Amino acid sequence: MPEDIIIRFENVTKQYNSDPPVLRDITFELERGKFYTLLGPSGCGKTTILRLIAGFVQPTSGEIYFDGQEITNVPPDKRRVNTIFQDYALFPHLNVFENVAFGLRIKRMKPDVIEAKVREALRFVNLEGMEMREITELSGGQQQRVAVARAIVNEPEVLLLDEPLSALDLKLRSEMQYELRELQKDLGITFVFVTHDQEEALAMSDEIFVLNNGVIQQRGTPKDIYDEPINRFVADFIGESNIVPGIMIRDYLVEFVGKRFECVDKGFDPNEPVEIVIRPEDLRITQKDQGKLQVRVDSQLFRGVHYEICCYDEDGNEWLVHSTRRATVGEEIGLDFDPEDIHVMRLGETEDEFDKRLESYEEVRHAG
Amino acid sequence: MQDRTRTRNIYLIPYMLWIVLFVIAPIVLIFYYSLLNIDGAWSFENYKRFLSPIYLDMTLRSFWYAFLITGFSLLIAYPTAYLLTNTKHKQLWLLLIILPSWINLLLKVYAFVGILALHGPINSFLEAIGIGARQILFTDFSFIFVAVYIFIPYMILPIFNALEELNPSLVAASRDLGASPWVTFRRVIFPLTLSGVKAGCRAVFIPALSLFMITRLIAGNRVITLGTAIEQHFLVTQDWGMGSTIAVFLVIAMGLTMILTETGKKVS
Amino acid sequence: MTKRLGRLPSIYLAVVFIILYAPIFYLIYYSFNSAGNMHSFEGFTLDWYREVLQDTRLFIILLNTLVIALLSSAISTVLGVFGALAIKGVKTKRFQNALLTLNNVMIVSPDVIIGASFLVLFAIVGMELGFGSVLISHIAFSVPIVVLMVLPNLEEMSPSLIDAARDLGASRWDVLTRVIIPYISPGIFAGFFMALTYSLDDFVVTFFVTGSGFSTLSVEIYSLARRGISLTINALSTLVFLATLLLVIGYYLISKQRTKPKEVRSVG
Repeated sequence: MPEDIIIRFENVTKQYNSDPPVLRDITFELERGKFYTLLGPSGCGKTTILRLIAGFVQPTSGEIYFDGQEITNVPPDKRRVNTIFQDYALFPHLNVFENVAFGLRIKRMKPDVIEAKVREALRFVNLEGMEMREITELSGGQQQRVAVARAIVNEPEVLLLDEPLSALDLKLRSEMQYELRELQKDLGITFVFVTHDQEEALAMSDEIFVLNNGVIQQRGTPKDIYDEPINRFVADFIGESNIVPGIMIRDYLVEFVGKRFECVDKGFDPNEPVEIVIRPEDLRITQKDQGKLQVRVDSQLFRGVHYEICCYDEDGNEWLVHSTRRATVGEEIGLDFDPEDIHVMRLGETEDEFDKRLESYEEVRHAG
Repeated sequence: MQDRTRTRNIYLIPYMLWIVLFVIAPIVLIFYYSLLNIDGAWSFENYKRFLSPIYLDMTLRSFWYAFLITGFSLLIAYPTAYLLTNTKHKQLWLLLIILPSWINLLLKVYAFVGILALHGPINSFLEAIGIGARQILFTDFSFIFVAVYIFIPYMILPIFNALEELNPSLVAASRDLGASPWVTFRRVIFPLTLSGVKAGCRAVFIPALSLFMITRLIAGNRVITLGTAIEQHFLVTQDWGMGSTIAVFLVIAMGLTMILTETGKKVS
Repeated sequence: MTKRLGRLPSIYLAVVFIILYAPIFYLIYYSFNSAGNMHSFEGFTLDWYREVLQDTRLFIILLNTLVIALLSSAISTVLGVFGALAIKGVKTKRFQNALLTLNNVMIVSPDVIIGASFLVLFAIVGMELGFGSVLISHIAFSVPIVVLMVLPNLEEMSPSLIDAARDLGASRWDVLTRVIIPYISPGIFAGFFMALTYSLDDFVVTFFVTGSGFSTLSVEIYSLARRGISLTINALSTLVFLATLLLVIGYYLISKQRTKPKEVRSVG
């Protein structure tokens, strides 16, 4: 569906001098009208991708396409893309109105047209009536909205957001997450959002790109990424995980911490070494002899929503449990889980290989 | 942001032009001329002359005067700056201290010509209290006094700034740990404002070496500084070669002073 | 640290202030003296002022001084802004520091060196001494101070402002005129003012490069003062003092005005 694709990166690499590349051979497509999040730790390349889309940097190799046309060397002022910067970058010498109108004045629109558009944009972000305020008089949240208004008033096809919520306090941040999501739905344009906060990513996105070391580790819907992390990095980065090494005895049977458990994965070679992930909220506390695992409680933190309980089994593996029930430190308890809660990850599998493996299940199913 | 290389360098062109023409070229030319003797031929004559007793003596005296002027300025300026930081409306007082330095230099010096004259008010005062009139003008004393007067604001300003930047909780910490006000000053305040002191000394010492207008008006021909010598050679005797040589030494002195008073701050 | 000053410190400050301002008021006082000298006040007169105001030669010199000051300040401000932008845009730290050092050489150099070296420069180039040489020299030594006034503003400016402007469609020219220049305007303003004072105040450099035909106020006063006491100078000083005072007050008021938060205008 080529008409739906708004941005395409082809084999894009970015390298500064002789430093290790920031982006390695990245290829992906973005569809119109979706909320994408680029997620990863500092230095993973997510901001670089944003700047490549905006035009502030050029790739060392590879091409970038916008709406089917190559824009690799097009300067930022000529792209139909607008950015919301991490520090908002509002012009201090202009008031709210003039900040929002900046892009329109550059295009030399008529004053009454500008006035109408600016008011509309401010209404969109709930800042009506604030046209004449000075930037320095505004709170952080208000400044952020002005930045949004200034961007959307130019009617871009893609909106880029560079960690825009990182400077806000927790409550305001949550509010703005809702608002930005609603805004994206109302405007119907593509949002590309950069953050290192995985909760934020899970909450807001249609699709998430998890990045590390200049490579896309995994892309998918929030649920896919959460439920089926493809490798240790993603499993670790998204949510909390318990990861232990294991051996895939055969289909549906896996061995770890010296015991064998029924599971729902297959397609591995017999006795293949793998990594096992079980989410803390999937572990249930029971009597010691009734659990699939036996552990001793080491420490406990009250998190409001749940207790975060840290345990160790006899091999010294750490198990993190989220439970609404309290445990006693030093107590020996049992942990229970369902076969569906065991997620098996192949060592070092890439996303493509993962997809191929899943496809092979389908073929077998259809064939069988 | 290595991708927008082209644009920036436009600004570089006129600026580099100015630097080459008015900073580099003049200095080079001065060095060049210092190697020409009075007939216009290449020689080290000028340098030999400079190293002769007369000129060396003048140079040393010049340095001595400059030291004295800098020293007295520091002595008077530091307490003034310190006290200023303790006033209310300190910016206003600072402005008032700086204001005289904007009055044309010559006018102030000219005023002293009148004040220190034989029949001037100072002498009248001395007569009145019985000491009797003295020759004040055209002495070392008057020269140093007027020079210090001129330079005080330039010494006060950097020290004031350094004092302002000083974290008051450091002083409080020092007192808290048992140090008396004097010891606190010696071991905490002064060392931390040293950069301001250095900046002030630099702002005073180098110009003090090169004063010539004040020397002529106040001290007549009694005091000869490097500055007066340079002016003399360039504008009176037309011996540009020798004048340049003296200028070279002044530049060297200036370089040394800058190195010695290096504070490490790049943009003030 | 704004405790009230004790007795002794207050007296010290008062003495310093009195000494600082004494010569100026001395001049002003005697400018009304009908006796024509600066030690015995006879009668009140405005004769000297009349002489000053009727002296056409003096008037022309005053005009020269103002024209040079305004013109050189304007041109050096433009060049200085270029310089600051150039320095900011340089990629390597080393080159940046080198440029800054060269820039500051001019500021730290004693006037004598600047004057002498410019004289040599003009001689080599074959330029005649007069209005042109003075103007060029004033521009040359004012540029570094403008750079120093503008640079801090530039350093403070977040680079994302430029990115934001480009992102919103601004061409490079737009970025310069709509974003950068407005942001650094306090620095430009301060730089222009400093250049103005440097130029008005300058004596030594002008003295060296002025040749015989052209004269500015400072140079003129020097020649008069060398000849001895003349109360026209006193009258002139008073006028200059008043003008300087007005200039400073004006600058102070304008800079306060600029930093005042703008009132919230009603939504039109």
